[in-house]
Amino acid sequence: MNTIKREFIDRLFKQIFKFTGFITIALLGGIFFMLLYNSISFFLEVKPLDFFTGSQWNPSSISSKFSIVPLAISTGLVAFGSMVIAVPLGILTAAYLSESAPKRLQLFLKPFIEMLAAIPSVAIGFLGIVLLGPALAHIFGIQNGLNALNGSILLALMSLPTIITISEDAINAVPKSHREASLALGATKWETLFKVTIPAALPGLIAAVLLGLGRALGETMTVLMATGNASATPTGFLDSIRTITATIAIEMGEVPYQTTHYFALFAIAAVLFLHTFVINLIGEYFANRLRKFHA
Amino acid sequence: MVLASCKSDNATIRIKGSDTEVNLVADISESFYLAYPKLFVSISGGGSGLGIASLINGTADLANSSRRINAQELEIFNKNSILIDSFIFAQDAIAFVVSDQIDINAISLQNLKSILNGNYTNWESLIKVNRPINIYGRQSNSGTYSFIKNKLDIEFSAYAKQMNGNAQILEAIRTDNSGIGYVGAGYLMHGGTKGLKVLSIFSNNINEAVSPLDSKKIEQGLYIFQRPLYQYFRVENYMKIKPFLDFEKTATGKNIIHLSGYYPVDL
Repeated sequence: MNTIKREFIDRLFKQIFKFTGFITIALLGGIFFMLLYNSISFFLEVKPLDFFTGSQWNPSSISSKFSIVPLAISTGLVAFGSMVIAVPLGILTAAYLSESAPKRLQLFLKPFIEMLAAIPSVAIGFLGIVLLGPALAHIFGIQNGLNALNGSILLALMSLPTIITISEDAINAVPKSHREASLALGATKWETLFKVTIPAALPGLIAAVLLGLGRALGETMTVLMATGNASATPTGFLDSIRTITATIAIEMGEVPYQTTHYFALFAIAAVLFLHTFVINLIGEYFANRLRKFHA
Repeated sequence: MVLASCKSDNATIRIKGSDTEVNLVADISESFYLAYPKLFVSISGGGSGLGIASLINGTADLANSSRRINAQELEIFNKNSILIDSFIFAQDAIAFVVSDQIDINAISLQNLKSILNGNYTNWESLIKVNRPINIYGRQSNSGTYSFIKNKLDIEFSAYAKQMNGNAQILEAIRTDNSGIGYVGAGYLMHGGTKGLKVLSIFSNNINEAVSPLDSKKIEQGLYIFQRPLYQYFRVENYMKIKPFLDFEKTATGKNIIHLSGYYPVDL
């Protein structure tokens, strides 16, 4: 093959790869622009103050009420609950896997944990309706179990694989010399884990938690099925809630095109997008630091 | 069952629209196929709005709709000078259901309103039981949701749970001794009423409470939450779809409608 041809092919492929790389950025930018554009149409009709401070989301009433507050509280509540459950569970599992699990068990457990991520969210939502809901109703002596707690437990289940995988990488990345120094000073295995290894792995653990949180915030089907979708502002984990994602999924199907209600759905989507975007960005930042640490 | 065909357009009736009606119409068309093997019928759902839109752009011959056509849609037909007509082939009734552990068999419209709009939050307001009321309804994109809302002229309580479908509502009420919900009456015949109680309703003009399971009363139009199921078509296509509409009126057609949990219309 002559040189000119080879150089031509090289250049061609360079351009193709550049193009595919930029497509992703263009898509992200396009989505953001579309959300923003439609949100602006919304804020021309509804005062931002009402949107961010009101207390009711009821677009189909005569005096349509568009307030993100109950939806945002619902989303925050269920995501917070899921992290309360998933973070300790995930980090401790990761610590066990990388610090004290026998090699064989580790090889056995890891694929199972990763398989958890492969369960379709609709199947987990179904679990929430038929299994977890009645169980919660029974345990707490309430009338039904379609509430924030149900959603939190299911979301915790769904974000566990992310949290465990990244946490384990983070803990593995802590240099062996740290542990050896600690053990040499007479610290026990557990003291070493909690006082040396985990603090040293902290940036990676933060990344794990944030990426797990991003997953929980954006999840739709599971919360749509398992949390009851009552639009009243929740006062606790045993109340039915209605998240931003579920609201969009429910209402997008039948909303009249380009009405205030239509734009309102874009506005709440934009708010959600901004939050998950920032959370994922910070998460990726820490994850990248972890990768550099690795190399 | 979708009976699609590669035959010329004249031999295929394309039906689109309401998800409420899609199973029923599919059942009818299976029998129709036995009677008219030369005429093919293709059926799909997607919602009442989609059916009517398909009628506008000519991708459907018959639009199933569980609601009357609205003003905007009608205007588009007028603008394109398309003449349309409708046919009511069956009726649907919405039943209010409570757990069988609640000592109530009939309810007045006024009380029903007060429950659904959140004024009554405890069964105490109606019967001698101190138990909170849990409302299980459909999601706001459901035709049933807007039907009840418009019929009672209320805003649903913000505490009303919005469930994915009839099955979920019944499942929830079975285990919740404080629940009240609404489902298509046809669904009750299929799903059974174990653990449930269907409420009869006192409407304003008659003294007697009417149950949605009483098909005679429904045929007479005495139950308040009953609604016609429409099929819209272009007048120019009438001859093409006439065999199917005629078939729906036959005894066989009516029998299928009844077995599917809907109510035939006496014409």
